[in-house]
Amino acid sequence: MKRSIYTVRTFVRINTKRVFRDPIAIFFSIVFPLIFLFVFGSLNSGSGNISFKVALINESDSSFSKDFTKQLADSSVVKVNQEVTTLDAAKEKMSRSELDAAVVLPADFGSVAPGASNPSGQANVIYTQNNQQSAVALTSVLDAQFTAINSKFVDTTVPFTVTSQQINERSLSAFDYSFAGLLGFSIIGMGIFGPVNVFPELKKMGILRRLSTTPLKVWEYFLANMVGQAFVGLISMTIMFIVALTVFHLEIVGNLFELSIFLVLGIVTILGIGLALGGWAKNERQVAPLANIIVFPMMFLSGTFFPRYLMPEWLQTVSSYLPLTPIIDGIRMILNEGKHFIDILPQLGLIGVWMIVIYFIAFKVFRWE
Amino acid sequence: MTNMIEVRDLKKRYGDKQAVDGVSFSVKKGEIFGILGPNGAGKTTTLEMMETLREIDSGTVTIDGIDVAKNPDKIKYLIGVQPQSPTFQDKTKLTEVIEMFAAAYGEKVDPMKFLRDVELEEKASSYVESLSGGQKQRLSITTALVHGPKVFFLDEPTTGLDPQARRHLWELIENVRDRGISVIMTTHYMDEAEVLCDRIAVMDNGKIVAIDTPKNLIKQLLARGFSKEQHVEQANLEDVFIDLTGKRLREEV
Repeated sequence: MKRSIYTVRTFVRINTKRVFRDPIAIFFSIVFPLIFLFVFGSLNSGSGNISFKVALINESDSSFSKDFTKQLADSSVVKVNQEVTTLDAAKEKMSRSELDAAVVLPADFGSVAPGASNPSGQANVIYTQNNQQSAVALTSVLDAQFTAINSKFVDTTVPFTVTSQQINERSLSAFDYSFAGLLGFSIIGMGIFGPVNVFPELKKMGILRRLSTTPLKVWEYFLANMVGQAFVGLISMTIMFIVALTVFHLEIVGNLFELSIFLVLGIVTILGIGLALGGWAKNERQVAPLANIIVFPMMFLSGTFFPRYLMPEWLQTVSSYLPLTPIIDGIRMILNEGKHFIDILPQLGLIGVWMIVIYFIAFKVFRWE
Repeated sequence: MTNMIEVRDLKKRYGDKQAVDGVSFSVKKGEIFGILGPNGAGKTTTLEMMETLREIDSGTVTIDGIDVAKNPDKIKYLIGVQPQSPTFQDKTKLTEVIEMFAAAYGEKVDPMKFLRDVELEEKASSYVESLSGGQKQRLSITTALVHGPKVFFLDEPTTGLDPQARRHLWELIENVRDRGISVIMTTHYMDEAEVLCDRIAVMDNGKIVAIDTPKNLIKQLLARGFSKEQHVEQANLEDVFIDLTGKRLREEV
């Protein structure tokens, strides 16, 4: 046993050093997941606040219209595209869904009609047919603004009003939610595509065959791979966490120590699939289609990129048994919801079953050449 | 002298081809034993069965009294294997290659000592991909010996090397023999077999057709009345090449 520990430790130490000497390995284990993090982080950075992209076409030169334009530009709900100044340009952008609607202030907007003491006017919201919902919502937003303005000019008491109040201080932002999926994606990348690319190459070069003439055991070789991969994986994910925290304001609710242990568990489980595929394959051509058949359904059905609750019920049931699903769910429950191991026993159980099945197969099908 | 290896009636079949067909021989402690023969004669298969890499159909191989088929795990500690074209994982330093192979046997060694044995100590901190073909062969030899084996297998060790590198390798193989290790090698080069091997087995179609020292094999051939046109030359082209490019074995760049 002591002998095996020394063997595994030496293999881990040297192979981990090799990873950090190899720019391609660094790219795939650290930079590549970060690119995805930035892409998905930027897509979700609106953090749940609805905003409308509108063009504001001001045909009036009244001082009220200028004030109103300024007020709208400062609004957090309405994002005014300053480049669009004509209705034709706005229409073109609306047809490409780059704008939700155009707000037109007519020439007489904000002028004081003869005999009246206050300025008046009517703003038009112009929209295309596939933007009806946005237009309705935008109209009511503008309506609310006008009501506030009107009450300053004309003192009225309104019998019925409604106010809204935010209560849940721990709700998930869209980014918080997708981060667990991104971690799952990076686990797949490292755990499956790593061995699937490396092992057939090692076989082709006869390196595994040479090792098979030594007393090195398959389990020692697997264990060296697991420890090394878990180590590199944790480094890669630590960097992802730092970026997520500093750039995208990730909110960590759970215990980071528990999370790291859970992540190692996830890496080792998914790595088993890679070891089984790479260990079985005689060459790259044999393994590539099989790897894709396994990876792509898992990537799309386990909640990596889209939440599983968007799927039809039967598909949710099926996908809940995939090996990656309890991993991503578990990450989310610990990270976002502050759950502990005792709360995620069903997930841990499913991961345990998969781990036994996967490694049983991996040992069975492994060949040194 | 005692026999280190006993091979008795060894057979291996691939499909309908009898690759090895009843091969028997023995190898003494501290001798270089060559297996010669055309491609497909069964040399490599014979070697692989002795190295525990191929299952044995029938017959026995014992190394140092241990049956290869019954105790492959014990055998692995007794043998060192040099593959036909040694390759190593890139971005690995030479010292690390030695450490890893030693670790595969559960042993901790001084890598520099083993690099010195094959005159690679200057390359200790280089990555393996910067080595020439001959240097890779030398590194491979020393990695095969990290655990102090009693038997050393080499499969066509000098194929593709230039004359200096070949001669250098011969010297190293002789050094291994002189440490009391039994060396078994295959080769296509007759000059190599003649210079290096203490005894030779010639294989054809899965069978051994002759087995003796190179001198005796030549004597026997002459005794059968063989003669060839005689040219007495004082030197050959290889001597010219060595003379022009450096008589002494030189370090490859």
